[in-house]
Amino acid sequence: MEKVLLDILGAIVTFLVAFVVGMTYGGLNRKITARVQNRKGPPWYQNFIDAYKLSSKKSAIHHGVMHHLGPAFLMVTSVMTLLIVPVLSHNNWFPNLNFQGDLIFLLYIMTFGPLGMALGAGQTGNPNSAIGVTRGLSMMVGFEIPWVLALVALMIQYHTTSITGLMAVQAHSGTWLMFSSPFAFIAAVMALFGMFRYSPFDIVGAPTELASGPIAETGGKYLFVMMSSGSVFTFAKLTLYVDLFLGGADNLFILIIKTFALYLIPLLYSLVSPRYRTEQAIRWFWGWPSFFGLLAILQAIIF
Amino acid sequence: MVGTPVLFIAIPLLAAFLIPLLGMIWKELVRIVPGLVLTYLLILAVNLLVHVLAHGPVVEVIAGWVPPIGINLVFSVFSGFLVTLMIFLGLLVWAYSYRFKRNVDYEPALKYFLMLMMLITGSVGIVLTGDIFNMFVFIEITSISGYGLTAFYKGRDSAEASFKYVLLGSVASTFLLLAIMIIYSQLGTLNMADIANKIHLMNPTLKIVSYIFFVTALGIEAEIFPLNGWAPDAYAEAPGPVGAAFAGIVVKASVYAIIRYTFTIFDLSGAFNFLIIIGMITLIVAETAAIRQEKLKRMLAYSSIGQMGLVLVAFGFGTEEGVFAALFLMLNHAIIKSLLFFSGSYLVYNSKCKYIKEVNGMSKFLPVTSLLFALGAFAIVGLPPFAGFWSKLSVMTAAADSNMILIMVLVLMVSVVELVYYLRVVNRIYFFKKETAIEPKKPTFNALVVMIVLGVIILAIGFYPDVVTGVLHKASASLMDKSQYIHHVLSLRQ
Amino acid sequence: MEMIHIIFLIFLGGAVLTYFSGKISKVLQDIFFLASVLVPAYLFFAYVGAGREATLSLGGITLIWGVNHFSWLFSLIVLGLGSMAAIYAIGYMKGKKRKGYFYFNFILSIMAMMGILLSIDLISFFIFWEIMTWSSYLVTIYNGHDIQRIGIKYFVFSAIGAYAMLMAIVIVHHLTGSFLMSSMINFYPNMSLSMQIWIPVMFLLAFGVKAAMMPLHVWAPDAYSNAPMAYTSIFSGALSKMGIYGMVIVLVTMINQIPQGFWFREVIAWLGGITAAIGTLWAIKQDDAKKLLAYSSVAQLGYIITGIAIGTELGMLAGLFLAVMHALFKGTLFMVTGAIEKQTGTTNFNEVTGLIRKMPWTFIAALLSIIALAGIPPLGGFVGKWMLYESLITSNHYLLVIVIFFSSTAAFLYCYKFLFGFFLGQEEKEWAHVKEAPAVMVVPMLIMAVMMFVLGTFPGIILKPINSGLMDLGFVDSFKHLWESSVILNVWGNHVVLQPILYWIIGIFVFFMIFLTWKGFKTTRYVSTKDISSSGEVPADDENLTFSVGFMQPFMRAVAPAMRRQIDKYYNGIADGLESLFEFIRRIYTGNGQTYTIYVIVFVVIVLLFKNILF
Repeated sequence: MEKVLLDILGAIVTFLVAFVVGMTYGGLNRKITARVQNRKGPPWYQNFIDAYKLSSKKSAIHHGVMHHLGPAFLMVTSVMTLLIVPVLSHNNWFPNLNFQGDLIFLLYIMTFGPLGMALGAGQTGNPNSAIGVTRGLSMMVGFEIPWVLALVALMIQYHTTSITGLMAVQAHSGTWLMFSSPFAFIAAVMALFGMFRYSPFDIVGAPTELASGPIAETGGKYLFVMMSSGSVFTFAKLTLYVDLFLGGADNLFILIIKTFALYLIPLLYSLVSPRYRTEQAIRWFWGWPSFFGLLAILQAIIF
Repeated sequence: MVGTPVLFIAIPLLAAFLIPLLGMIWKELVRIVPGLVLTYLLILAVNLLVHVLAHGPVVEVIAGWVPPIGINLVFSVFSGFLVTLMIFLGLLVWAYSYRFKRNVDYEPALKYFLMLMMLITGSVGIVLTGDIFNMFVFIEITSISGYGLTAFYKGRDSAEASFKYVLLGSVASTFLLLAIMIIYSQLGTLNMADIANKIHLMNPTLKIVSYIFFVTALGIEAEIFPLNGWAPDAYAEAPGPVGAAFAGIVVKASVYAIIRYTFTIFDLSGAFNFLIIIGMITLIVAETAAIRQEKLKRMLAYSSIGQMGLVLVAFGFGTEEGVFAALFLMLNHAIIKSLLFFSGSYLVYNSKCKYIKEVNGMSKFLPVTSLLFALGAFAIVGLPPFAGFWSKLSVMTAAADSNMILIMVLVLMVSVVELVYYLRVVNRIYFFKKETAIEPKKPTFNALVVMIVLGVIILAIGFYPDVVTGVLHKASASLMDKSQYIHHVLSLRQ
Repeated sequence: MEMIHIIFLIFLGGAVLTYFSGKISKVLQDIFFLASVLVPAYLFFAYVGAGREATLSLGGITLIWGVNHFSWLFSLIVLGLGSMAAIYAIGYMKGKKRKGYFYFNFILSIMAMMGILLSIDLISFFIFWEIMTWSSYLVTIYNGHDIQRIGIKYFVFSAIGAYAMLMAIVIVHHLTGSFLMSSMINFYPNMSLSMQIWIPVMFLLAFGVKAAMMPLHVWAPDAYSNAPMAYTSIFSGALSKMGIYGMVIVLVTMINQIPQGFWFREVIAWLGGITAAIGTLWAIKQDDAKKLLAYSSVAQLGYIITGIAIGTELGMLAGLFLAVMHALFKGTLFMVTGAIEKQTGTTNFNEVTGLIRKMPWTFIAALLSIIALAGIPPLGGFVGKWMLYESLITSNHYLLVIVIFFSSTAAFLYCYKFLFGFFLGQEEKEWAHVKEAPAVMVVPMLIMAVMMFVLGTFPGIILKPINSGLMDLGFVDSFKHLWESSVILNVWGNHVVLQPILYWIIGIFVFFMIFLTWKGFKTTRYVSTKDISSSGEVPADDENLTFSVGFMQPFMRAVAPAMRRQIDKYYNGIADGLESLFEFIRRIYTGNGQTYTIYVIVFVVIVLLFKNILF
């Protein structure tokens, strides 16, 4: 019983860390984007202000049960991902469920939320939401291919499907997987572009035409939960990448440096890219990223 | 003594001649008497078959002349089984057509039943006789009544069909006579057993030529491709029950004759393969032609031809299993194809051209007939648990045991074709909307009974094939045992 | 008289009785129908155990029936799903035409499937196989829509498969002198190499057709979507599993015994993978729920085939577990479609929308089965998918796992399309009258949905029977005790512990649900789907905001090159070619008596010319 309570307490701490870091990254994203576009931009803590504003708002309407619960579905995915991914290599304050699931499980639990939220968006009856959802799901099929190619390459090379197993490999050999399996890393990072849905892959939200796509009909508390979910998910994904390719992190400081460095890649790429149409985006993912993924598998087979 | 084989020829022949006389007394007798005669013959045949099963073949000498000089009739298990089957079918055809055309006059009815009796007599004679010239006579009897029945409707088309039949029939007679002449000139005997005994003395070339002539002549009657040009027209133009009679009686008798020549009389080693080849060609051509037919009866005719091809193939394996399979096929074909002809005739009863598309939606008007047609279709393509499945299985087993893999593949491919055209018709009956204004005709009571009896037999054999397999095994054994046949016939010296 | 005899007699008698009792009373017919499915199911599970054999001698062939653990597993699918579908069918068929016909074939199909599973000899296997084919064919053409194409296509493919199997059976009989499966299996290593290859190929042809394996799948989408939904749920859920059942037996007992078996398994596994990918793509394209689910069935069967063709223990477990799951979720989804068809009269996504508030229970059943289908935890589909991936990765099928992964990710698209198309989106006045389906239809769906949920956390319930079934086939059990708990693991020792995961998921979900609902849901009011943000305007009542046409357009554009060719077209081409050939042959019969006479003469001349070769 005590362990369960400790687990829950740890989960809450992890969640809070992820929330703060994720929100900060979101704010920095806006700032950096603005500076690149020669604007002043909002302060880095703008996302916290937004979140506070949204959470203190009172929702007047809802579109039915699925719409009401959609954000909760989304949150399940974010938090579960966060709990499955080992946040720090040696620290008891961030207990996780890693010993209860592996990479394949992670891949699938990551799809739980989007589907739930898609249902919520669907129930609103707003065609823009549904259009956004179909684009998002289509894009997912696109970037999952290089992503899975990269993961499979790692799995077969090191004969393990668990994240801790791959971390142990790095700790043991002393090299990060991004150096020992470079092609897998390249493919995975390219897939990361799709996961973040920043430009050129931002047609899902399509901020100007679709009124932000799937979230078109959400506001107030709903939007707050979705926003925090997004922040937590950002952190979880970046941590996963760090664990897999950058050797994990021993303390929060290193983790933040590594994740932010990783975060900069899709962010900076987005600043110089115009938007792809959905089918172009899908084909892009099935082009070079998948090619690198195949190279990674080839490398894994040969070595 | 339970009865003698000669009755099978004497009684229907007598009845055939008496029918016109009896008709003068009471017109209805024309319809009734054939039934009584056939019933009696059926009882006789069954009794005799039971006797033969227990005690071996019965050989009957006509007019006291013992073989090889005299004419003899042989009622072995093999021929007895076929005779029983043919008479049973004859009875069903009679019962079915008892009121087939209620509006027909006395005169056509008289001719119809008279010719039907002749047809049955001739066919039974072909199977029973032990003398090749005698067989020629019976074949002529059968053919001539067949010509008449084909032209029964007196239309332009039926006359044409009948004429084609006559044309090919006369060619058949010529070849048959030629073959008989060759045999007689070489061996000086006409008795089958005697010929079989002496066949090795014959000039090999002449032996082959006479065999070819026999097969050609009988092949015309047995509807072997490419000798069967008459058949589709005759089936299509003759009344429905006559089609059943052709398929179930005439063709069976002719196939019997071919088999008797191949198995018992001649000792040609290549004959079995020859049967397989012509059987396969017949099967493939007929079934593929059937799928493109637009008229129901014509389709059934081609299907019937194809089945006979398969029967020849099964005989051609030359093994006892093969013969068993062939006999099983013949039995099933007789029953199922008759059912299809019977029920099919009512499905297109009032239509002029008998197009397949005219059966559309008939299930609403003729539920029982449609159901029985569907049953027949399912059975003939060999779906379990209906009768056709067991014969197909035994054909396949026999083929596998003879290592005829290619034959199996071809037969099964053709079965798929067969499946397609039968299912197309059944689908039409049940699921299409009735288009034309053709008035459906309710089957008469006796026709319905006949069809239901056939349906029950199909189900009975399907669920419990043991009812017939015992007889079939004995019959195939009796055909295979050539020396026993010769011995039984030739041991009748006084 | 063994219990197995009695079960078959009840099926057979029940079918006939049900058919004819319809002439007396519809209620009586329903009762007979239910009884003749449920009573044998009860008798089977209560009284028939492994080791009991029943025999019947027909035509000199002894038919032997018995059950082992492996066939028991499939019996569970058949009778379990069959019973559910039977209850559902009562509601579904209410007021429809040809009820007796439907019930008759339904019962016969169940009987035939049980017969296949219980057969120990090949002849009864074949007999029941054919009965299954024609009874399912008869239901397929029930609607009478385009049957000359759809029905015949189904039957022709089945017949080709079945005849290939028949050939194999008689050849085996020729070689061994026995129709028993065990003697075939025992003799197999002694066969010549060509027979060692051809016999399994012929069997697999039959099983591949029923399991809708590429390139033999073309009948499936049409047949599945054309049969009444109450039947399609067992058609796709149970009947297709007969192909899987046969495949497993052939693969394990025969192909694994020869060195060439590796290539066999590779080819089949790839065929399964390609089936999955292509089936998924076509499913996304469909605008009709029936078609969508039909293609989806093809795709799901592809996963199962891949799993069992891998041949490792985990692969087998994955394939068979997916088979059970597929029976559950696809059965439910077809039932959902049927319920919607019953209530609205159409299953086209372009017509029906926004039923979630009208048919909430149906929606819940659909949602759970969709989650299971997509393989998302914590429902049972995930367990099967996980094992499938792990087995592929650990057995060095690197590219195949990508193909499978692609198709199961793309499956989300049609999953969402299904849910959105029917239940979400704009609520239209046209469907304002729609009510929830009757309880008799909803309850079976919900029962199956609950089962999916339970299996997602406690897969051991099914994995244990699967395991003992595999042991009956000769597999060594290397995961033993673990099926007691809720852990799934692969050969590298990586695992997923399902139970705590479920609790965490529920915990997080409930927490945020309360967070959202707290002081929220009560005070907020429900607004209709017209009351949405539309660039600041308020949409008018008559404004059409329904989005369903061209739903997955962008994705379809991306994959268009892969879908340009359709294997169906080639088959149609072959069929047309054959028909013209047949037409040519038919013309041999010119109808001219003189020609026929010439034929006779030519025949005689030819035979005389070749007489030395022939005789």
